[in-house]
Amino acid sequence: MIRCWGPLSLLVLWCLIALLGPLFPLTPNQIDLPNILTGIGSQAWLGYDDLGRPMFDRLVIGARTSFIVAISVVTVSFIMGSLLGTCSAYIGGVVDLVLVRMIDIFLAFPGILLAIALAGMMGPGIENVVIALALVGWVGYARLARAQVLSVKEQEHVVAAIAIGTKPLGIISRHLLPLIMAPLIVEASFGIAGTVIAEAGLSFLGLGVQPPAASWGSMIRDGTRYMLVAPHMVVVPGLALMAVVLAINIFGDWLRDWLDVKAGTRHTSRS
Amino acid sequence: MKSMSTTRGRAHHGHMGQSVCKGWLIGLTISSSLLGFCLFLSCFILAGTASADTSLEPIRFGLATAPSNLDPRFATDAASTRVNRLVYERLVDFDHTSRPIPALAHWEQLSPIHYRFYLDPNRQPFHDGQPLTAQDVQATYQFILDPQHASPHRSSLLRIDRMTTPNDATIDFFLTKPDLLFPAYLVIGILPAQLIATQHPFHSQPIGNGPFAFTNRPDDSRLILTRRTDRQPFEFVRVPDPTVRTMKLLAGEIDMVQNDLEPELVEYLAKDQRVVVQRGHGSNFVYIGFHLQDPLTKQLAIRQAVAHAIDRQAIIRFMLGGAARPASALLPHDHWAGNPALPPYNYNPQKARELLAQAGITPDRPIHLTYTTSSDPFRIRLATILQHQLAKVGIACDLRSYDWGTFYGDIKAGRFQLYSLSWVGIKTPDIFSYVFHSRSIPPHGANRGRFIDDTANRLIDEAETAQAIFEKREKYQQLQAYLLTKLPYVPLWFEDHVFIARQEIEGFSIAVDGNYDSLVSVQRRR
Repeated sequence: MIRCWGPLSLLVLWCLIALLGPLFPLTPNQIDLPNILTGIGSQAWLGYDDLGRPMFDRLVIGARTSFIVAISVVTVSFIMGSLLGTCSAYIGGVVDLVLVRMIDIFLAFPGILLAIALAGMMGPGIENVVIALALVGWVGYARLARAQVLSVKEQEHVVAAIAIGTKPLGIISRHLLPLIMAPLIVEASFGIAGTVIAEAGLSFLGLGVQPPAASWGSMIRDGTRYMLVAPHMVVVPGLALMAVVLAINIFGDWLRDWLDVKAGTRHTSRS
Repeated sequence: MKSMSTTRGRAHHGHMGQSVCKGWLIGLTISSSLLGFCLFLSCFILAGTASADTSLEPIRFGLATAPSNLDPRFATDAASTRVNRLVYERLVDFDHTSRPIPALAHWEQLSPIHYRFYLDPNRQPFHDGQPLTAQDVQATYQFILDPQHASPHRSSLLRIDRMTTPNDATIDFFLTKPDLLFPAYLVIGILPAQLIATQHPFHSQPIGNGPFAFTNRPDDSRLILTRRTDRQPFEFVRVPDPTVRTMKLLAGEIDMVQNDLEPELVEYLAKDQRVVVQRGHGSNFVYIGFHLQDPLTKQLAIRQAVAHAIDRQAIIRFMLGGAARPASALLPHDHWAGNPALPPYNYNPQKARELLAQAGITPDRPIHLTYTTSSDPFRIRLATILQHQLAKVGIACDLRSYDWGTFYGDIKAGRFQLYSLSWVGIKTPDIFSYVFHSRSIPPHGANRGRFIDDTANRLIDEAETAQAIFEKREKYQQLQAYLLTKLPYVPLWFEDHVFIARQEIEGFSIAVDGNYDSLVSVQRRR
């Protein structure tokens, strides 16, 4: 548990900033021409961007953007993928075959490329980014849920539940989903990291939030033109993005170990 | 040579066969050598003056966009036009006030519809060695005027009725109607008539009589020209990213750049000892255009409010690094038809609010406009600043940025409320007819805002038919004053040109239109 305190505190900070950011008197879109490209200093400790807007304020709003997108995408993908995978494996037959083929087709495309294509077709905007990433993201959860259900649906308590006439919905909700939840949660933790990166990538390409709204990806894009004269425009959002993704991944690793009964980490930590 | 050898062999028939064989071999060797020399000479002649002196290191010019078409009959983009000026000479050029002056030819007006042009007796021949004659001039313009060839320059030359060539150095132009400014339209580079007839691919292998000859184009991003006077090669290298262009300049991979750099990068370079920065006034006109049939932007009070809401001085000072001049009309003040008496709209947010209130727009009834721009980061940056300044007076703008093709298509089709663009390379005041006359609504012209105004039409027509230059100037000045009151455009500024070269490069001077003509005198100091 000790090894994840650092990443966990960073994640908590990210969540707090994202949720409580609007309560602070921030002016992320306040253009102040005399401050254009002013570097890190006492007046603004993260400097100003190419329009004289405070980098700190934009970083906070960017954190909120990435948080909202990540949570929305992972929630939608998680629910959609888990239900589809579970139902498919439980029902089997043609339904399962169709789902497996759909998963194969989705996996045949590089995920981010498909998201770029979808976001490009639907037009730029944060809502469309969420839709595009969720349409790509459900596949991983569906595949994992299906594999897990296939391995547990023959277990004795499930067979017994079927034998006593429990309805399929009850079996899925009470006997299957609780058993497969641990690996899905671990998958979701990595999914959050992937979504943060994907959102930044789409915003970098101009398919995410639209000006003047802030996103870490769009902040990095704006900064690339000034790397020689104002490196803080790239370094600040770049470091924030790297720190959050790294923290999520370390936390996900720890969560995987903690939830792994065979490894016994969970019991060790508790004792 | 071979027959000589044989003769000699016959003459010495009584000698040994070995002697005959030896003579034959010598003959063969000599003839082969001569043949080889001839081949080499042919290749050299074919290459003409275009071959560069390989002992000279090329001077490299970094460009944001490569010239797309090296055929002046079809080229329209700025990069192609500037490079084509180096390869081809034109009949007429412009002085610093944009008045037409002789280039390849001087002229006299024999009647209101008859101009005679005399080619410069000291003119250079074409790069392939052929002399440039009046027939070449005629063939070039004849080609452009042929509607089958769909030259984009045809519309400006439609006033030509016919051409004749009394001799090799004289060409007569007969017009359909009198036009005092006619010589100003003869700015297309002259091509060899013989090669026009054979459909030579000028777009990729240009042959003109300009001071630079085409040498090679290894790929789309590189073009090599050779200066005819000293065989100095010049390489034009496309480097789209401004940061990379800056780094290449500092590293010595390119020797010079002009424009297309962020003002902050220019300031950064100005502090570096390895390069020298030159600045000069330019004539590229940046403006905000309105759709004048839109229910909101057709209201004069709203357009005036927009004009008063924009703080040009602050944008020029802080965003453009001072590299621009505020504009009050499409022509700069130093243009012969410009109007120096016109003051630019001053920044007055209070007046803007009052004007909006007159139009019935109050804080509880705000106005929402859509501002369309290209996806160029600099234009988006500018649009964001304008959006912020307009919001301060109560005009909320939604920014829409599109790739250039979509953006330009929307503008031509009238799918916009507000947009920002610039006019590049304006020389002649016929631009007013092209942009503001009601007959010039696309596709017939560039009246993209659908500005229909009888007074403007009358002033344009009177200026075009005026029979004296001073009268034309007066009418155009009246027109510009009138347009400033009606505001089909909000004039913003004229962008300056910036030229940056490494310390060892000397001899370049900035032109008002940003052309590269002074490359003829550029040298690398050793």
